[in-house]
Amino acid sequence: MRAVDVVIVGASLAAAAAAKRLVDAGLETVVLERKELPRHKICSGILSPRGHRFLLENFGPLPRETLHEPTSCRGVTFHFPSMVSMPMDFFHGTTPHLHRKYSDHWAIQRSGAEVHDQTSFAGLEDQGGHVLVHARKHGEPVAYRARQVIGADGPSSLVVRAVYPDYTKQIPWFFVGQKFHEIIDCPLSPEYFHFWFHPGLGHYTWSHARDGRQIVGVGFKRGDNFAKKHAVVQRYLEEKHGVQLKPADDDHEGCAENFGPSLINRYVFGKGNVLVTGQAAGFLNMIGEGMSCALHSGAISGEAIVEAQRRNRPVQEMYRRMIASEVRRCSDQWNPLKIAFERPHEADFPEALMKLSWRERGLVLRDMWRFIVLFKEFKWGRQIASAAMQRPLLGGYSMQRWL
Amino acid sequence: MKIPLVEPGTIGPCPVAPDALQGITRQQTNPARWNGAGWQDFVAALRAADVELVESVVACGVYATDAGGTAYGMPHGVVIARDAGQVSRLLKTAQACRVPVTVRGGGLTTEGESVAFGGVLLDMSGMSRVLTIDANALTVRTEAGIYWHSLAEELRRENLDYLSAPLNLTSSVGGTLGVGGIDVNSARLGCSADQAVSLQVVTPTGEIVECSDTENSELFQRVILGYGQFGVITEATLRIRPYTPLAMHYYYYSSLRAAIEDLQMLDRNDASDYSGILTIMDCAVNLLVAFDSDEREAAFRKHWESRLRGHGEFGFALCMLGHYAVRPWKLGEALYLLQRKQAVFPEFRRPEYLRAGKMHDRSVVFSRAVWKHWGSRQMVIPDLATSADKFIAAVERGNAICRKYFRHYTLYCVGIKLRPEHKPHYEMSCIPPDADGWAYGCEFEPMIEGEVYSRDHFQAFKNAIYDIGVDLGASYYRFGGMMKGYIRRVFGDAVVDRHLALKRRADPAMILNRDVIF
Repeated sequence: MRAVDVVIVGASLAAAAAAKRLVDAGLETVVLERKELPRHKICSGILSPRGHRFLLENFGPLPRETLHEPTSCRGVTFHFPSMVSMPMDFFHGTTPHLHRKYSDHWAIQRSGAEVHDQTSFAGLEDQGGHVLVHARKHGEPVAYRARQVIGADGPSSLVVRAVYPDYTKQIPWFFVGQKFHEIIDCPLSPEYFHFWFHPGLGHYTWSHARDGRQIVGVGFKRGDNFAKKHAVVQRYLEEKHGVQLKPADDDHEGCAENFGPSLINRYVFGKGNVLVTGQAAGFLNMIGEGMSCALHSGAISGEAIVEAQRRNRPVQEMYRRMIASEVRRCSDQWNPLKIAFERPHEADFPEALMKLSWRERGLVLRDMWRFIVLFKEFKWGRQIASAAMQRPLLGGYSMQRWL
Repeated sequence: MKIPLVEPGTIGPCPVAPDALQGITRQQTNPARWNGAGWQDFVAALRAADVELVESVVACGVYATDAGGTAYGMPHGVVIARDAGQVSRLLKTAQACRVPVTVRGGGLTTEGESVAFGGVLLDMSGMSRVLTIDANALTVRTEAGIYWHSLAEELRRENLDYLSAPLNLTSSVGGTLGVGGIDVNSARLGCSADQAVSLQVVTPTGEIVECSDTENSELFQRVILGYGQFGVITEATLRIRPYTPLAMHYYYYSSLRAAIEDLQMLDRNDASDYSGILTIMDCAVNLLVAFDSDEREAAFRKHWESRLRGHGEFGFALCMLGHYAVRPWKLGEALYLLQRKQAVFPEFRRPEYLRAGKMHDRSVVFSRAVWKHWGSRQMVIPDLATSADKFIAAVERGNAICRKYFRHYTLYCVGIKLRPEHKPHYEMSCIPPDADGWAYGCEFEPMIEGEVYSRDHFQAFKNAIYDIGVDLGASYYRFGGMMKGYIRRVFGDAVVDRHLALKRRADPAMILNRDVIF
């Protein structure tokens, strides 16, 4: 059995950030990844400027191979059923369009951690003083003994399931899928990520250019039919925006997503010597960008372990106190009071709104309300209101709601 | 996937887009851990050269972080400095084996500059003897790893004192000369590095060189305020002065602007020997004025005191009472001020350091108070140094940032008298290029108060302060605390590239403190 300081499950950006902090501090760190690296990853790849800065400062300038074409994204354009469009540029300029297969591999290599790929996490036993991690490599069982474990294995986290077996049944699950189309004619600007606030299209509908093709993406409550939902969106884009696309290529893809936790401050950060971070913990920015909070929360999980070891303090306590800043930043993006009176996002929504005529502003607000009503069935309203009120009163969000 | 090697200091083209992260240099600022290539060969060569190297995890763990307490790194091994010859052998071997060497004095950097991310950590505290004191010429020759308070202790026996040093107990002479250093007399005597007369330096290639304004002057200019890029300071000759106790005066303001204007007025008119501002947030602003002699104090009382707009302690208490009486919702703030006053004020009036109303051993009094009431396990002190005319704007903007990020904080402002003959020292240093006569520095120090914050939260705060500096064309008087990513933004590519070329000539393998500047 291999004895190490920390085992990280997943070779994502959150894992790379955690590994960077741990390796820098001299802790022996092993990263487990079930696929062979570099591995494919479903993602829009549009990283926020804050995430870009983190990558730059911690891992260095991005190599060209880590980027798709177009290599950058200027901002986000919101589209509404009333046919009003609101382009918003990111603060501080354009931002990378990451090729996750290579960007994640690059970051994990730059972290300096030892990576065991083709090694599937199979379970863990927290023994108090250490954690036994069970995994399988090429079908053969392997075991690790670690002082701490970090679960950075995405929304469908096996580490979360190992620690909280019932968690997956407690939250609503969504499916997001994207199909790739050869372009005949596309009036949508390739410089922007396009998002539709349209209740008829789904809970999360987007499109952007990638490597000469157009992505058409849909997100909906799990259980609906991907092909049908996608067809509706493709037809809508053609009819309303004049987007003419060839039939989708065969390389479509999809995955499960957990949209809710950052919206209602219901994060899951682990138990005992097991920390959960990144999207596994529930971090997701508005417009569904999870990479920048994955990077920052991942780094904080690594820092918490280092701090806990240096100060001889419980690691969960350190992690939860340190992660509060990232919770504030992420949940602020969903907080209606913050959105109304401050600028919690990395693009200026209020300014874009003010550029519209009074009539268009009214239409936008009406359409947004109708879109929000789509989420009524999840009964998040009271929880969102409660979190919004906590923010000014407590200076943050209640830790009591975190798992 | 092949990751292209990036030469230290080199800024390549950005494959994302030229307008991505506008203004931010494409540079890794949190260094990658050195991969240990050739370490065993290096260890063998070092032992053959009779240099003791400690590799145990326990020994290395002592150096895991600096005073900033946010960056953690582990060296592969530690060398305790013993003499210049040993440092020379270390650097020659490291140069040959291309092993990075990080030098640490008191470890009071705040951004991980004295933390080794692999390679060797050279602990200079092993070289801490005072060599000679010349009471006639008023100079002292000392090993550079000595702490200032230890030097002060030795000098006091001869009734002498150093000119200026940072107000804390564990900063070293060598480290301070390498970054600048400020004191409450800097408005009169310049930064701490200005008192250096000559230095013994071990260059990155291992030569032991004596340098001063007249001997090897180019090396002297680069090493002073050079952030450890051009050599390890092993010995220093410093100017000293006769020891004097201090007559202290305190004036209290509720306006930062008024206090700064009065501070600058005093400095311009050479009205005091010591001056500085220390605040409790922006609510209670204390202008501190002190004198070495009764004559200077009398002249101040006669000509300048009446022009100050600050109050005495009692008058200010009445003002505050009135202020908070009509603002009952600020009761918490008022209570904090009161609690802070009761805790801090007696520290500056401890009877063991007061004789005939004068303060003795100011370095101990101030350092003790600083560590007891401001210091914590993490030291987060971003700062700005500007010309006199930009200073108020810098402090007011920085103050707004402090309010946004932390409940409680302190500002510490001092003037730094510039010495025209030292202008070559100041290039790419804490002294802003447009400063004339005086530079002014302000530290923005949040009170951590047992809270636990993420490094990211601190970094966001520091970035917000540093961004003000970029916007105003300021510098940073860091006692080792400006993030590497701001160096090029502040000083411009031309100046930085010129220094990089000098560095490459002096340190071909780029081993010495390689992650600090370039």
